[in-house]
Amino acid sequence: MGSENNISNADESNRMWASASFVGVLIIIGMPLWWKTTEVYRVSLPYEKISSFKPLSHFVTTELKVLANDDATASKIVSEIQKAFAESDIIKIKIEKTVMSERQQHILRSVVDMEKAVEELASTLDLDQENIFHVVQKKSLSHNIWVGNERIMFFDDEKASETIVKALDGWIYQTSVLRGARSDTPDQARSTRFPPESAYHITLSIVHPRPDTMQVVWNAAEAVEDYIGSFVDELSSLHNFTLKSQWLHLLDFEFQAREIKEASEWGRHFAVRQDRLSLLLTRLEERAATHVSELSTINLALYIVPCDKAPIIIYDNEGRKNPLSIQAFMSPKWGGVVIASPPAEQCSQQVREFEPSVGQVMGAFVSHLRELLGITKKDAIEGAHLEPLRSVSPRRWEVDALLRIRTLEQVTSAERTLQSLAQLLEEISNIVINDEVGASIAAAVSELEAGAGEGAGADAARAGRAHAHAQRAFTHPSLLALLYFPDDQKYAIYIPLFLPIMFPVVLSLRILLLWFMGKPVHKEKTD
Amino acid sequence: MAFTNLMLVFIFNLLYLSLSSGIEIPEEFQKSNHTNNWAVLVDTSRFWFNYRHVANVLSIYRSVKRLGIPDSQIILMISDDMACNPRNPRPATIFNSAHEQINVYGDDVEVDYRGYEVSVENFIRLLTGRVPPDTPRSKQLLTDEGSNILIYLTGHGGDGFLKFQDSEEVTSQELADALEQMWQKKRYNEIFFIIDTCQASSMYEKFYSPNILATASSLVGEDSLSHHVDSAIGVYIIDRYTYYVLEFLENVHPNSKRTMSEFLAVCPKSACLSTVGVRKDLFNRDPSKVPITDFFGSVRPVILTTDPINIVETPKRKKKTENKTKVQVKRDYVPQFPMHLVQVT
Repeated sequence: MGSENNISNADESNRMWASASFVGVLIIIGMPLWWKTTEVYRVSLPYEKISSFKPLSHFVTTELKVLANDDATASKIVSEIQKAFAESDIIKIKIEKTVMSERQQHILRSVVDMEKAVEELASTLDLDQENIFHVVQKKSLSHNIWVGNERIMFFDDEKASETIVKALDGWIYQTSVLRGARSDTPDQARSTRFPPESAYHITLSIVHPRPDTMQVVWNAAEAVEDYIGSFVDELSSLHNFTLKSQWLHLLDFEFQAREIKEASEWGRHFAVRQDRLSLLLTRLEERAATHVSELSTINLALYIVPCDKAPIIIYDNEGRKNPLSIQAFMSPKWGGVVIASPPAEQCSQQVREFEPSVGQVMGAFVSHLRELLGITKKDAIEGAHLEPLRSVSPRRWEVDALLRIRTLEQVTSAERTLQSLAQLLEEISNIVINDEVGASIAAAVSELEAGAGEGAGADAARAGRAHAHAQRAFTHPSLLALLYFPDDQKYAIYIPLFLPIMFPVVLSLRILLLWFMGKPVHKEKTD
Repeated sequence: MAFTNLMLVFIFNLLYLSLSSGIEIPEEFQKSNHTNNWAVLVDTSRFWFNYRHVANVLSIYRSVKRLGIPDSQIILMISDDMACNPRNPRPATIFNSAHEQINVYGDDVEVDYRGYEVSVENFIRLLTGRVPPDTPRSKQLLTDEGSNILIYLTGHGGDGFLKFQDSEEVTSQELADALEQMWQKKRYNEIFFIIDTCQASSMYEKFYSPNILATASSLVGEDSLSHHVDSAIGVYIIDRYTYYVLEFLENVHPNSKRTMSEFLAVCPKSACLSTVGVRKDLFNRDPSKVPITDFFGSVRPVILTTDPINIVETPKRKKKTENKTKVQVKRDYVPQFPMHLVQVT
């Protein structure tokens, strides 16, 4: 009886230990292992740093040198400028005033031609330094102030201070555009220019609808290389560019033009409404094959009007005729189009040959490119004279301004991207952050912390890198690694898998517990 | 008596004034500030018996293209090629009705994702912009903060999911999360979401991102029904909801003043047999004041050039890009009959 009891006891304890080992393997080892292995992989991120970013608190810094004939004038100008920009939260100007040396004053007195005067002054001033602008007194100007291509502005005397402030605000520093670059919602300039990217692809298409009736002489490759190439080289510190030109034959577009009789060589012109032009863009896109490049493409198109539809003149939405000799338009974030009509005498000939003026056409295209890449139009300011552009290169101070705008835009955009990513990680639980993305985020944060976004040069490059890193982190394909493993359906997968095994184990827990608790009592009884 | 009358009129006027000024929403609030339009049109089911889904998606494709959205801004995902299916008695055509009134296949259809490329993964990647690095630009949704997006989905769905190609499905939660990620990344201004499946309204119920107007062909618990059978092809030719949508859109022109609320009421229960669901709580504007062209048409601002640069000096590019040396490869014809290979004794 006793031995039988012992045997059954031993049997029972064997069974109990066996099921205890099941419990041990499944619950003590298995559950944590399962938990660990099915965890959404996330590198630890600098959440605190990211949440401390304040995109709206950024500003740019720049330097200004005021040079005048006497100290009183200089002080007056400086105080006026300081007063005007003291409240500004978007730009901080470091102003330095100097009384000009005798030699500088002599140059400014003796040289009448402005460009010449700038050239001569350049030997005494360092005009090549980025982000430093000079305000120099030059007596007997025809206007209150004069602005040219270099980082210099001439003013007449202290009465010009108001105009100087306006010109600094509107032309040189463009505080409203800067504000638009920083703000949450895009302004006019931001919705016109292309979003910041490290590289763009520029395609010039020459559209020739009727190659059978007229020959067009135009060296597209050379025009692109010389005009567009020279222009984009000036912006090489901001973006890289690839250039391409192509001919598109037999691409016809129905302008729905209205014929208007007039007293000219043609005896007529065709009026095209502005609202019709957007359809031309759609038509061009069909053939231009701009998506062959993986970069964003800036489209430029020269449309050659066939003789029987020439000349075409664009009328704006108010019904006003375009007064210029060149018919051109641009579309924000898309590109520009020039419509070239052949002259009447060519069309009357037997063998027609049309050579559009390269300078005129490219002049329009460069003006499009300037706006598309972020160099804004300069509105006229009373009493201020802005020397009109005569070459494809942008003004030196325009490049500085663009650099500031792009820097601010990229810094704020990078910060916003990181913040929204951090918020998404909180909201949506199955986003994976692998090591590569984590490294991108860390790099972006460190670039931003290193003080990107104060001004030009190295900071612009840093802002660009921060923007690129943040962008890459947000759009990295690996973030969707758990796409086929949705959170809300996790248990639909696990329950059929684990329930049949877990069920007996969980049930045996009770007996096991009882056995462990009851064992000493049981033993006592046998004793 | 006259006095009380006057009083009454006065009070009435006051009431009317206060009411009208309370209800009136300022014009600029109603005006959309989008700068470009995109469309994502998806047919998720394949095989011949799902002919109607291809007809559905092509009907919308035809309309948005006609109303001005360029092909480069339409992402078209079609799982199967009905036009060239051997069972199609009239190859290269897909019709909207048995009377063959409208060939929705048209002249040029640019399909961006086709066949087995139409997957949940590609769809979500497309929306969120998380595409593999070698994806061509034509297969990307390159929208920005100023984009209005029209999303149209058709296929077989159930409560809370839409089936892709018999093998996988996208759930309403995943879709809502994808849209939220788009919103956070500022990839849209407004979205108009249309879905034509069974229990379609379950797909938009989980949305939580702002500026989305959603409509569905049926409510939860209802089936979306097809319109009619074409005996020539032997299967249903189009779904009811999309049939009436197309009929409506055919009468819309780029300059028309039709509003979104007209669109939302396009298929009454008597015609659709299912109840069309609408969700407007995420949408900021009043649909009765939103022109239909805000989503189906395309804005393309055009700025006339008034200040071309008068280039005086002809520039010469200083920095010459190094020309990749082109080695002329000598080519000659291979003999037509390779006699040199044959042993001639």
